[in-house]
Amino acid sequence: MNRSEPGTLDTTTGATTLDEIHTVLEAFWLAHPDVPEGIRLRVGIATAEIGANIVEHAGRGESIRLRMETRAHPDTIEIVFTDDGWGAEVDLTAVHLPDDMAERSRGLALARSVLGELSYRRDGTTNCWILISERFG
Amino acid sequence: MAEWPTRQTAAGVTVVTPDGRLNMVAAPELREQLRTLVQDGASRVVVDLSGVESIDSSGLGALISGLKAARNAGGDLRIAAPNAQVMAVLELTNLNRVLRPRESAEKAFDEPE
Repeated sequence: MNRSEPGTLDTTTGATTLDEIHTVLEAFWLAHPDVPEGIRLRVGIATAEIGANIVEHAGRGESIRLRMETRAHPDTIEIVFTDDGWGAEVDLTAVHLPDDMAERSRGLALARSVLGELSYRRDGTTNCWILISERFG
Repeated sequence: MAEWPTRQTAAGVTVVTPDGRLNMVAAPELREQLRTLVQDGASRVVVDLSGVESIDSSGLGALISGLKAARNAGGDLRIAAPNAQVMAVLELTNLNRVLRPRESAEKAFDEPE
């Protein structure tokens, strides 16, 4: 792991990536103690889901380069993930929770439900996920 | 593969106690442990979540997998003592309807479904 600047993670995905994401987010909250617990909880849920989605689907079993940036704006919290893995074919306007007894496919619906905005785009060979939450709820 | 501690209550219920973050790293281990417990004859299972810091969708998947296995064996799987994060994830996914949180592992099977 090479955290080049506070609130940012530059890493190669592997078994510890989700822990690294968690650590960066915890440091971000320490730097922004005004963000209420409820918002932290919701942003944490979404960040974990999108991070796991990237590791699993963009990586497809291989390590990829992953960058996570955390940004505190006056009224919003923004988390940006970029990676050089496989592109995602996903329509975020169409994601929905599956049947209660399903064992998979809740992650994106869960992430979207706790954010103000969730977007994904493919730029050339780079994937970019942007997560935006209200800062104060 | 890691295994979390298990114990039997006086009523013969098997309690599994995972800890830390139930994410895509830990979820397959929990799923496999629950599957093995049911296969070995434990059909009434409680997952004691008091030591779980957080859960994600893959952790939920492991619980649902265990729930289905236990019910297929004629029993049930119940969860106990989730923290605020786990409660939020259960509510956001509506899974609190099928995995209704119980106050404690010891009392999880005292109430009807």
